[in-house]
Formats: sequence, C-alpha cells, structure tokens
Amino acid sequence: MFDFIIKYFSFLKHIPLLPHIFDALIRLQTLLFNKKVLEHIDVIERTVLTWEKTSAGMHQYGGLQFNVNNREIGHIHSNGLVDVLLKKEIKEQLLKEGRVEDHHIFKRSGWVSLHIRSEQDKQLALELLEYSYLLKR
Amino acid sequence: MKAQKIAPALIIANVFALIIIGITKWISLYSRDAAGVFVFSDFVIVPVLMGMITAYYWRDFGLTGREYAKYSVWNALIAVACAYFFLDEGYICLIIVSPLLMGFVIAGAFLGKAMFRNNGNRMNVSIFSLLLLITIADSLTAAPYENEVSDTMIINAPPEKVWPYVVAYEPIREKENYWLFRAGMPSPVQSTAEAYREGAGRKCIFSNGYTFDEKMTVFKPAQDLTFDIVNQPRDPEIMGHIDILRGQFILKDNGDGTTTLTGNSWYRLYVMPSWYFDAWASSVTRNVHLRVMEHIKKLSEKNV
Repeated sequence: MFDFIIKYFSFLKHIPLLPHIFDALIRLQTLLFNKKVLEHIDVIERTVLTWEKTSAGMHQYGGLQFNVNNREIGHIHSNGLVDVLLKKEIKEQLLKEGRVEDHHIFKRSGWVSLHIRSEQDKQLALELLEYSYLLKR
Repeated sequence: MKAQKIAPALIIANVFALIIIGITKWISLYSRDAAGVFVFSDFVIVPVLMGMITAYYWRDFGLTGREYAKYSVWNALIAVACAYFFLDEGYICLIIVSPLLMGFVIAGAFLGKAMFRNNGNRMNVSIFSLLLLITIADSLTAAPYENEVSDTMIINAPPEKVWPYVVAYEPIREKENYWLFRAGMPSPVQSTAEAYREGAGRKCIFSNGYTFDEKMTVFKPAQDLTFDIVNQPRDPEIMGHIDILRGQFILKDNGDGTTTLTGNSWYRLYVMPSWYFDAWASSVTRNVHLRVMEHIKKLSEKNV
C-alpha cells in the first residue's frame, strides 16, 4: 500500500500537511497492527537524541527526522521505513551485502532505505544513522 | 498516575473542539451559501488543533511516539463520543468520520510535538492563530457540494418487461452484500407508486421503515422515469449531512431482447472535505443503485 501510494501519488507530497496526514494514518495502522515497530522507532529516537548536537523534528514529507548541526542525518516514516544518506561507495557495499535497499524514490543518490521489522533491523538502522551522524558532525 | 496527567489535555482538546464547531456552525448561519454546512475545517483543522493542544500539555511528560499515537486515538474516540452525545450524530456517520478524525488528530499531535520541542513559542502561537482564522473564514465561505452517481446494468428482458418494476417493485428479500448495510445502515427495500403517470407520488422504503417521498417528474414508459425527492427522513445519519435531490432510471432498448438500465442519483453534501465524504456518499449511493437494479433485473428476467 505504502509503495503503491509513493509510486503513483508522490506528486501530492508538495501539498502542505498532506504528507503528514498520510504519515499519521500510517502511524495509526502501525499502532493497530504492528506496534512493536513504533517501540523500535521510540528506541531509535531516544538513542539518537543522546548523541551530541542532535535534534529531532518532523520530516518535510512526513516522519521523524534527525539532524546534527541542522543537517539531516536520516528520517523514519511511521511504518518503520528508515531513510539514511550515506556515501555512495558505502551504499554500494551495503546493497551488495543485501543489508539495505535502494531508496524508495532517489535511486541514483547515496540514500538507502531499510524496513525496521526486528531487533536486528533496529540495530542496523542505528548503525547507519550513527555513520551518517559521524559524517556530518 | 499517567492517566491523571494525560486526561486533562484530552478534556481541554475536546471542549475546545465542541466550542469551535459550535462557533463555525453559528457563523455559517450568517452565510447564505454555507448555512448548516459542516465545513472542511471542522474535520481537518479542528482535529489538527486538538492534537496540537494535547501535544502542548504533554510536552514535558516524556511520552514516547507510541504513547502520543495511542493517546491521540483516545482523543479522537472521545471526540466521536462527544459527537454522538452532544451533536446527535448517527453511528454510521461516526464510523465514516473516525479514520479521518484519527488521522488528523495524530498528525496534529506530532506537529505539536515537533513545534513545542523547538520551543518557538511565538511561531507556535502564530500557527495556532492562523489555523483558527482559516477555520472561521472557511465557515463563512463554504458551500454545499453536489454530485451525480450513475450505474448501468444489462437486463435480459425488453424495456416493456423492465418498465413496471422500475416504477414500483415488491420487497427485496436478498441478503445485503455491502458492508455498511450489514453494519446497520438502512438499505432500500421497496418502491411504491400512487399511479403510473407523470406527477404521481412514489415512495422508496428503506429497511428501517424510513421513506423517501418522491414525485415523478418525467414518465416515459419503457424509456425514462425521473423523480424529485420531495421529503426525506429526518434521520440523524442523513439530516444536515446529505440531501438526495433526484433519481432517474433510463431504459435503452438494445434491439436483441435486452435492456440497458441506467440508474442516476443526484445529491447535495453538507459535510466537508468533499473529497473524503463524497467517496463514501458515492459508494453508498452506488450500492443503493445496485441493490435496486439487481432486484429489478431479477424480477424482469423471471417473466421473460
């Protein structure tokens, strides 16, 4: 469902508030059917905010965004989809290892995507966010 | 202990919503076009503001994102209960409005969470005031939304055989397939006609006994039956939300012993945003059409 909407209706993301409403509906769905994912997101949020000079806010297209020195480290959509900006060579390596997916929209960039479904996914998301944090700190 | 900290924000948010909706309804009475309309803001901006209000009161409680979402769902459910008790809304309407309400309340709570985390008080007050202003402007400028729903069915009988059942038909006894009918929404059961001529009265009777009084304005046997709704039931699910204006059955002879039956309905919606509520209104109307047209098809084909 999420992928379908992103693929065919992503042009609507520029309408003010609409992506946030979409994310809120996804959050409702996750709360009802997969609340463990929300717990993982909470742990990630708590952990990232312990790192020096980090802050959290709303991502412009919905979700929770982490910043360091006002530069984005990455963001998490409410279905547990984490997007992190890495160096391209690191991205290639991680893609080869099958640990991450190409970003759901920006294919030719350093962005990678990862679905948090388990404890291991959460750990990997934290590792990637920390890597991006160290790059931008 | 946590409930004691959480609850005041939920109460304040809901009292705020009731006051604002009361004000927008009162303001809309002074606008000729918008009189009685539940404006876009009532279902969009007010829930967002409700979420923001709770986020303001919860800002120092260290709630997790999951808790924000969970308590926002409670917030929306309390609003639904308030609408049932104080606004006299029907439960089918509330089923329809709930997903929209929950989405906007959760969005408001997380927008508020981000806003109050940044502690930009001046900006927060500006955003809050701007949203309130939009709500008031919206209640002055809103206008009802009109739409038409059309459905077509092939009947294996010539128009002359179909026509009598288009004008009036015996009770429908088939089980309901549409989930809202199964959930308790009244479904069409029978139509009766005072006489088979233009200007005669017609009644469409629903499963809960409610009746739509109609007047046949076009009566062309085996071709066209058009009727205006002259009186609709005073049911909380309908009143102030939707007016069914007109209905029509067009019969087209396909020349091979079959008939293409087209059912059209026109309605006026008083609840906004129309992109959301019209999706439900057209779905309900379509299922009313299909239930009636399937029945007409069955009766017509039985006598061929």
